[in-house]
Amino acid sequence: MPLLNVLLTAAPAAASSASNYFPIGLQLLFAIGFVATMMVGTHLLGPKRRTGDKLENFASGIESHGDARQPMAIKYFLVAILFVLFDVEVIFFYPYAVNFRGLGWSGFWSVLMFVGFFAVGFFYIIKKGALQWED
Amino acid sequence: MNAIILSAIWGVVLMFCSVLIKNKGVYRHIAALGLLVILAGNIHETYHGSFFNIDTHEMLRFSRFGLFFNTILLAATLLYVLLSGRDVEKAGGYVAEYFTLIFFVLCGASILTSFNTLLMLFIGIEILSIPLYILTGSDKRNLRSNEAALKYFLMGAFSTGILLMGIALVYGGTGSFMLEVPRSAIMGGYKGVSFLEVTGLLFLLVAMSFKVSAAPFHFWTPDVYDGAPSVFTSFMATIVKAAAFAAFLKLFEARVGDTSAAVDWKLLLSIIIVSTLLIGNVTAVFQQSVKRMLAYSSIAQAGFMLFAVFSLNDVAKEGLLLYATAYSLATIGVFAVLIKMKDVTFEGFNGLARKNPVLAATTTICLLSLAGIPLTAGFFAKFSMLSAVIKTGTYTWLVVVAVLFAAVSAYYYFRVIQAMYFKEGDAQTEEVTGGFKVLLIAVAALVILFGVQPQALLNWFYF
Repeated sequence: MPLLNVLLTAAPAAASSASNYFPIGLQLLFAIGFVATMMVGTHLLGPKRRTGDKLENFASGIESHGDARQPMAIKYFLVAILFVLFDVEVIFFYPYAVNFRGLGWSGFWSVLMFVGFFAVGFFYIIKKGALQWED
Repeated sequence: MNAIILSAIWGVVLMFCSVLIKNKGVYRHIAALGLLVILAGNIHETYHGSFFNIDTHEMLRFSRFGLFFNTILLAATLLYVLLSGRDVEKAGGYVAEYFTLIFFVLCGASILTSFNTLLMLFIGIEILSIPLYILTGSDKRNLRSNEAALKYFLMGAFSTGILLMGIALVYGGTGSFMLEVPRSAIMGGYKGVSFLEVTGLLFLLVAMSFKVSAAPFHFWTPDVYDGAPSVFTSFMATIVKAAAFAAFLKLFEARVGDTSAAVDWKLLLSIIIVSTLLIGNVTAVFQQSVKRMLAYSSIAQAGFMLFAVFSLNDVAKEGLLLYATAYSLATIGVFAVLIKMKDVTFEGFNGLARKNPVLAATTTICLLSLAGIPLTAGFFAKFSMLSAVIKTGTYTWLVVVAVLFAAVSAYYYFRVIQAMYFKEGDAQTEEVTGGFKVLLIAVAALVILFGVQPQALLNWFYF
């Protein structure tokens, strides 16, 4: 018995006949062709003026100074990640607000539990001093 | 259900203990109390039903096997906390959080013993793994601990990617995440095995082999086990590995039968098993550090536990229960002593028998159990694994290979015993309390009890 004779078992005919994939193939070809044409076209047709300013990183027109890769206080990351955490909590409120009436009391208790978990976590980080900015 | 909910809650309780209680010595008592509560809850669920009545929509299914496995994992963790709890306090500055993470790992483990959809498998694996990445790197000032954590995290993330890819492919092939799909429901009554499902299952095999550190997916194991603080290595190598095996067995038990027309799973698994046994045992022979030797030996033991996944019969299920118990007990015992050693190389153990006979004797019993010597639990564990293979009626040569490698393993386990008893030296240990010694003797007694009367354990499974 061969290790793998998967290839011998035929796939169901309806799901994978080649003609079903024709539109996808066409779109793929078009997408690649379009990008390639545009890139080659701009390279051939566009004027070329190389100046030092153009090689600078673009930062909203403000002159950049220094390197971004330098040690930064860990507090920034802490605040950023905690922000993301609570941001996600808010995202869950939107669908709940829309379905507030439909979900009824059971939905209310579920969301209350969810908020409860977050409140517990919030209490923990406050007590641990994660949001204390001054040392 | 009890174990999942209670361990998550107790993790949060311990988190708050770190805020509210300043005395570090109290945490391990709270953790031990929590484990007792969860253990009681889990045993209650095994025989009388859960405290919680939650509709899981068939995403979790609590079988006797899974619940019994939970009991073993929880009891092993309790033993671990009692034996090595004091050393967790020395691992780093956030003691209560370490215990919290251990409880979260247990939550993941109890999901792994009861999952019924591939999504819960994924969630269980993640809940199990993420706390481990943190525990591995808990010794923040130690470069090797950091290296181990980063390595574990990157490789673990990659294997999770493979796991998810596999789940997606299985979904593509069967149209369902459920563990067992009625074949008639697949693809509108189509009878053959889908190419996607088989490819997905191969991906799942790779990902699960990674989690249980089977060759050739074992490369992270020695570095991670060696780099992590010894207390957490002990936890990782025992409870976590056993939980991953429970999931592995559950997954393949459900899927192998339907897809064996397409893949020769037995051949595939026997290749993995032989290479795991070969690499684990042969590399362990050449180690200078006992800690690293134990890391390789855990790979070799994983090879033996894979026999359960290979045979997939009743004997194999019993065998896995027995093996998980025997292996966890012995490894926790050996690590508990190893943590106390000042020098973890083989030379560090020279002359331990004269200096501290209790430690040397209990370590010897645990090592004998790991090697599978009769009258210890390890013997019956290995025996039932091999008889499970015999019962399948095929690949009997695997048994010969396994016995040969078990003989090889005796060499490196006996090197420690030889160092302790027959070499002159001045083995330096940290201060050990009387309670620690009593517990070690209890571990050794359990190892011998299950070695003489393995039914003492398995009877609980049936009644």
